[in-house]
Amino acid sequence: MSLVPGLGLVRGMALTLRRFFEPKATIRYPEVQADIPPKFRGRLQLLYDEYGTLKCETCFQCAQACPIECIDMGGMDTKGRFHVHWGAAETYGERREESALRRSGRTVPDPAYDHFEGVDVGPVDDILETFDHDPAHLLPILEATQAHYGYLPVGALKRISQVTGTWYAQIYGTASFYGHLRFEPPTVTAQATAISERRPDEAAFLASLGASLTGRPGGDA
Amino acid sequence: MTALSRTWGRLTLPGKIVFTLIPLLAVLTAGLIAFIIVLGGPIWDLILANLWFIRFLVAATIILVITIPIAFLNIYLEMKVIALMNLRVGPDRVGPWGSLLSVVHGLKVLIKEDFTPTGADSIVFTWAPVVTYGAAVMTLLVIPFAPGMAGQDFNIGLLYFFAVGGMGVVGLLMGGWSSFNKYSLLGGLRSAAQIISYEIPLTLSVVGLLILAGTMSLNQIVMQQSGWFTDWYVFRQPLGFVIFFIAATAEANRTPFDLTEADSEIVAGFATEYSGMRFGFFFFAEYVNVFIMSALTVVLFLGGWNAPFDIDALVNVLNGVVGAVIPSFHIATPFSIALDPGSLGIPLLFVIGLAPLIGTLVLAAPFYLVRSSMRWWVALIIGFVLFNVVAGGLTFAWAYVSFDWVAGLVWFMAKTFAFVFLFVWMRGTLPRVRIDQLMGFAWKWLLPAALLNLFVTAAAVVIVGS
Repeated sequence: MSLVPGLGLVRGMALTLRRFFEPKATIRYPEVQADIPPKFRGRLQLLYDEYGTLKCETCFQCAQACPIECIDMGGMDTKGRFHVHWGAAETYGERREESALRRSGRTVPDPAYDHFEGVDVGPVDDILETFDHDPAHLLPILEATQAHYGYLPVGALKRISQVTGTWYAQIYGTASFYGHLRFEPPTVTAQATAISERRPDEAAFLASLGASLTGRPGGDA
Repeated sequence: MTALSRTWGRLTLPGKIVFTLIPLLAVLTAGLIAFIIVLGGPIWDLILANLWFIRFLVAATIILVITIPIAFLNIYLEMKVIALMNLRVGPDRVGPWGSLLSVVHGLKVLIKEDFTPTGADSIVFTWAPVVTYGAAVMTLLVIPFAPGMAGQDFNIGLLYFFAVGGMGVVGLLMGGWSSFNKYSLLGGLRSAAQIISYEIPLTLSVVGLLILAGTMSLNQIVMQQSGWFTDWYVFRQPLGFVIFFIAATAEANRTPFDLTEADSEIVAGFATEYSGMRFGFFFFAEYVNVFIMSALTVVLFLGGWNAPFDIDALVNVLNGVVGAVIPSFHIATPFSIALDPGSLGIPLLFVIGLAPLIGTLVLAAPFYLVRSSMRWWVALIIGFVLFNVVAGGLTFAWAYVSFDWVAGLVWFMAKTFAFVFLFVWMRGTLPRVRIDQLMGFAWKWLLPAALLNLFVTAAAVVIVGS
């Protein structure tokens, strides 16, 4: 409240009258184009061809060309496998699982964290030490890594990228080029073990269930 | 016959329309001429014998028709001014600066479905907008636009204005009641409560003015305010003016008192069930009401058609000052410019034909000669625009000094639209009041203030008079 009654009205009216003469904020679109930065490319999205398949061939050229490394191609499905794919967040397996958990009110695990940090990267450092941290020997490094782990874990690849300063995209491209390098454990059993290690509660429950039934894990009754 | 039908078939749609209209027009014109020749004399006599009635009919028709452009102009002003105050551009696509958008709005409303709900009292439902609009138009009948330009010069003009203006509430109540809808009924009752409450301070605030003026004729009231702007009633009735303005805002359902159709908060009030042109008529009535309330404020308090200065006194001062130096200097009032274009005879046609051409060339020449880089057609366009400005200005100046009503109309419209702008400005600024604040303000503040104004004025008149 001001001392003079009605002063607020007058000040409001003065404000709108000042606005009346000020330059306007509207941009008349078809006639006036907004000032867009020269590198602006609009919304990033993957296109589909006329058969409905993704045109993207996962060549990683976009990820390599991106100057600020904002483009990354990857995600995990419901079985915890890392896949290079790109789509709406809800189409990723782990997003579905996560949102289901969140709706049920339970705590949400972070499989990406487990996946990348779960491997012990000490051996990778040793391997890199033997190759003198030289990215020119990328193929021998990757072969040695696979010889140690049995496959190429994403965490190890990230570690190689981090230590040698090579783009992750380059390492992934090299690894995916050679047929004898693989990103998953060679057998399904190994993969199932890896998953049950990642979910101790579930594994313990299954073990106790099996013990209470026939003594065999999982039971067959 | 086949040739004729083949030719007809080859015509495009506009061609068909034109070729139908041309013979029709020819026949109609011939018929009209024959009608005038045969029956013109008796009809002319009849018109002369009933001149007052014909005059009233013409005035009523003009008043009825003039509300449409007035409403369009008000709607356009509302859209544009509020947009500019919101740092937007507002309408700018249809017509120059979007000025035809309100016409497009009108057409849109016309072609919309006109819906009557089941269970509505269809007769009352149909007539409600008519009553509201009719009340607005009928009040316009007594507004003096310029000297001699008023629909009717009643000696009870102000009383008539309030009586007929109060009929608008009946229309709102009719619309609210007949819609067969609780929201409409409540909205109608709320509008009626608001408008009737504010009618009391509105009417009381001008009683003091009536005591001073001694007449209810709006024409007389305006004539009493001639001379300098200090003679306007706003300086003798400042409190009355403030009360009148606030109450008029509420009467016209304008922000901050637009609870009747608080479009952002409630269902559309009494107009909930209305659609199409019936709804349009309610809104036309509202915008016409804005104009009428502005016009009445101007007529009562701001001198109506009078200029804010006394031209005779100004000219006398000028004569005195300049006459002291140059004894032969004298300007006679009122001005009259003797123009008799008819005396030119046939050459008048040549003057009319050649004046734009020569004027354009003469006005274009200096631009073309001074700036060598200017293209000739650019210079011609500049010359043509300048010629139009000069010719229009000269014509306007001539009409202003020659005809009382032109000068009066200009001042009246300027003042009235200044008030319309004020109403729109307030709508762009002020928030809406609550219904209890609205009613409390009318009964606890405006009504005592109006009574105080009345008593003080009456006492002053008695004291000064005795």
